[in-house]
Amino acid sequence: MNGTLIETRNLVKRYGDKVAVNNISFDVLGGEVFGFLGPNGAGKTTSIKMIVGLLQPTSGSIKVAGYDVQTQSMLAKASTGYVPDTPNLYAKLTGSELLRFVGDLYSMDRGQVAHRIDELLRMFDLSAVGDDTVDSYSHGMQQKASLAAALMHDPKVLILDEPTVGLDPKSARLIKDILRQLADRGAAVMLSTHILEIAERMCDRIGIINKGQLIAVGTMDELRTLDKTGQASLEDIFLSLTGGAEEAEIAEVLK
Amino acid sequence: MNTTTQLPSDRLPDTRVLPAVWKLLFMRLRITFNGFRHAKLRRKILMIFVWLMLLGLAVFIASMSWLSLGVMRSPEFVRYVGVDVKPILALIPALTLSILFVGTLLTSFGVLLQALYLSGDMDFLLTTPVPIRAVFIAKLLQAVLPNFALISLFGLPLLFGLGISSSYNFLYYPLVVIVMIVLALAAAGFSSLLVMLVVRVVPPRRAVEILGFIGAIIGISCSQLGNVANSFGKAINISGTRLAGILLISNTPWLPLNWAGQGLVALGEGHWLTSILLLSATLGFAIITFWFALVTAEGWYYSGWAGMQVVSHKKTVRSARPVNVNTSNFSFGLARLLPKPVLAIVQKDFLTLRRDLRNLSQLISPLILGVIYTLSILRSGGQVPAGQGDAPTWFMESFRIVLAYSSVGMSLFVGWMILSRLAGMGFSQEGRNYWMLKVSPIRVGHLLMAKFLVAYLPALGLGFMFLTVISVVQKLSLLAFIYSLIAIIMCLAGMTGILLAFGVVGANFTWDDPRKINAGMLGCLGQILTILCLPISFGLFIAPLGLAQFFNFPMSYGYLIGLIAGSSIAAGFTFIPLQLVRKRTERLDEA
Repeated sequence: MNGTLIETRNLVKRYGDKVAVNNISFDVLGGEVFGFLGPNGAGKTTSIKMIVGLLQPTSGSIKVAGYDVQTQSMLAKASTGYVPDTPNLYAKLTGSELLRFVGDLYSMDRGQVAHRIDELLRMFDLSAVGDDTVDSYSHGMQQKASLAAALMHDPKVLILDEPTVGLDPKSARLIKDILRQLADRGAAVMLSTHILEIAERMCDRIGIINKGQLIAVGTMDELRTLDKTGQASLEDIFLSLTGGAEEAEIAEVLK
Repeated sequence: MNTTTQLPSDRLPDTRVLPAVWKLLFMRLRITFNGFRHAKLRRKILMIFVWLMLLGLAVFIASMSWLSLGVMRSPEFVRYVGVDVKPILALIPALTLSILFVGTLLTSFGVLLQALYLSGDMDFLLTTPVPIRAVFIAKLLQAVLPNFALISLFGLPLLFGLGISSSYNFLYYPLVVIVMIVLALAAAGFSSLLVMLVVRVVPPRRAVEILGFIGAIIGISCSQLGNVANSFGKAINISGTRLAGILLISNTPWLPLNWAGQGLVALGEGHWLTSILLLSATLGFAIITFWFALVTAEGWYYSGWAGMQVVSHKKTVRSARPVNVNTSNFSFGLARLLPKPVLAIVQKDFLTLRRDLRNLSQLISPLILGVIYTLSILRSGGQVPAGQGDAPTWFMESFRIVLAYSSVGMSLFVGWMILSRLAGMGFSQEGRNYWMLKVSPIRVGHLLMAKFLVAYLPALGLGFMFLTVISVVQKLSLLAFIYSLIAIIMCLAGMTGILLAFGVVGANFTWDDPRKINAGMLGCLGQILTILCLPISFGLFIAPLGLAQFFNFPMSYGYLIGLIAGSSIAAGFTFIPLQLVRKRTERLDEA
């Protein structure tokens, strides 16, 4: 493992009286895949948006690749790649134009941009539609284009919000492989997901957030120690930490 | 092994069509009512006011048509004009109903395109135990009702007014309403088939873009028709008698659209046989058309035929021509001067503006207006009026200079119109894609510079084009042309700065339809402010020239003072507002 590439300290985000993220602190090291889990409305996306610089924290600090996201935002952003939960991309740009645009935003060298576009379109099986506008892409293709855009500048830190939603099994597998390779090359990968099986199999460490608070962080083995049996699956741990009993009651009503 | 689960009797679906249609329409009414109930008080008051105004308008049209048609029927009027107006008045129902049919056919096309393909509720409705026919009838009624109400607002009072002034039979009035409803439904039925045929060739979203573009062109052309008619009116001279003759010929019974109108007049006048023949033919034809369209549309939709593109996906969405950054005209000169992110944003904005017809339709208006006004100047010969010759020479000379330059204001006006869209909505046009800029390492200054250039360059290009035309027409000297060009460069920059700053403050990133980009009042405030600032900065450029003439100073003094004063204030308008919104730009799109 390398040094810390994402560092959050006492992160708080308030919307008026509502506390969306409440004093969370965690680190993500280079070379690891960090899973960020939580029920709907727990504060996952808000936390991620603060880390990538889309939202200003109410208090607390965030460092990405050693740069403070508030005071050294340009350097922090230049080190980060981000894939949002909904792939809102410029619909009237072609796939290759979109990637060229991103390359230019990150001030990449022209030759490097052309080489990288070719490489990424091939990797994501988008070469045949590289000259078609994004609005003609299916949801899965847009998701892949979004990931290609995030990887364009070969970021040290990659942050993904629900990356596998809407992807076919082949594309989902490809993304998992890419994320693993990135981590193996020393990058820090942070992803939020609802699919616990993905988190269990892919992530080196997992953080669980509920009602804006980080309630558990650790490797799978460390999380298992929270359960009395020590044999629990991630699903069991997640449900016991985030209020699974309520869901069980609902299931009982539906019977 | 197949097993059939028996549904409890209280949960058996109701398969009757009309109750289901009522349920669906009631749901639509409830949505509309909820929209009104949850609207802000200001909006509620405005909506009530608009409804009252429309009601008043209907009463006004009815009474005016009653009065004016009564006058037209009077023997004094007939004696005065020397034409028998009775056959012409009998044309009114045919004309009104033809307009209703064609109007409903055209207007319901867009509504049905949205309702059938883009509203997103069709799949939901078709999976519920509601008869498919009920869904389609509800959709057709939904498409017809607003436009029908609008056309009826003008048509019904007119036809009722005609009936009252002509003392028509009482059966005329209910039949007018029935015929209007049936014709509107037939038109909507036709329209639904047209929509499905179009969607076989063009994807629905693209069809909406094309429709918006055509609508904008027609709208702006119609709004300017009055100016064109005034300019060219003298060339076309049609007398009232000739026009009446043309209208009478068009009321031929060979056109099925005329049957309804002729039948209603016959009914009103008590010609029973003719009226029964014509009205039953109209009603039968319209009902059969509606029924045929309904059944066909259902079949096409349910079988999947209406959703299947005739042309394969690859060919339908034509591959966009790849842009070579190294050779494109725009980047050729600027690439070496501008930072890469700035150039990237400028190129991206120009590409997306050009490719999205909905954006293009907003940008085409200034061009059309500019062309119309330039044509007007060309037709007037572009000469400054010579005056009566009574005024003192110094006054006439000063006035001539100011007037010559003020026509240059046309270039600024055209530039202002395009800036209102490009600068005022420069940030908002990013919409939900703004996150891409927000997560990228772009300096605020660079972002503002890029958005400034995206708005400024087309406005400047257009302003320059119009200035060149006006200069040639008005035979401006080279010095005056160069001076005007500097004034335009500076004044447009000032307006861009102000409008862009207001665009930052009122940025809206949550729109789905580009026509709804400008959601707040700030865009209007920016436009009002620029209307105030433009005369100040342009006035400071030209006033010193008139003053130099007035005080008999050398003209070079006037040019120098104008250049310093005008440029200074324009530079202030350019930089100060943008400086004021720098901090806000950093925090854009942070809820």
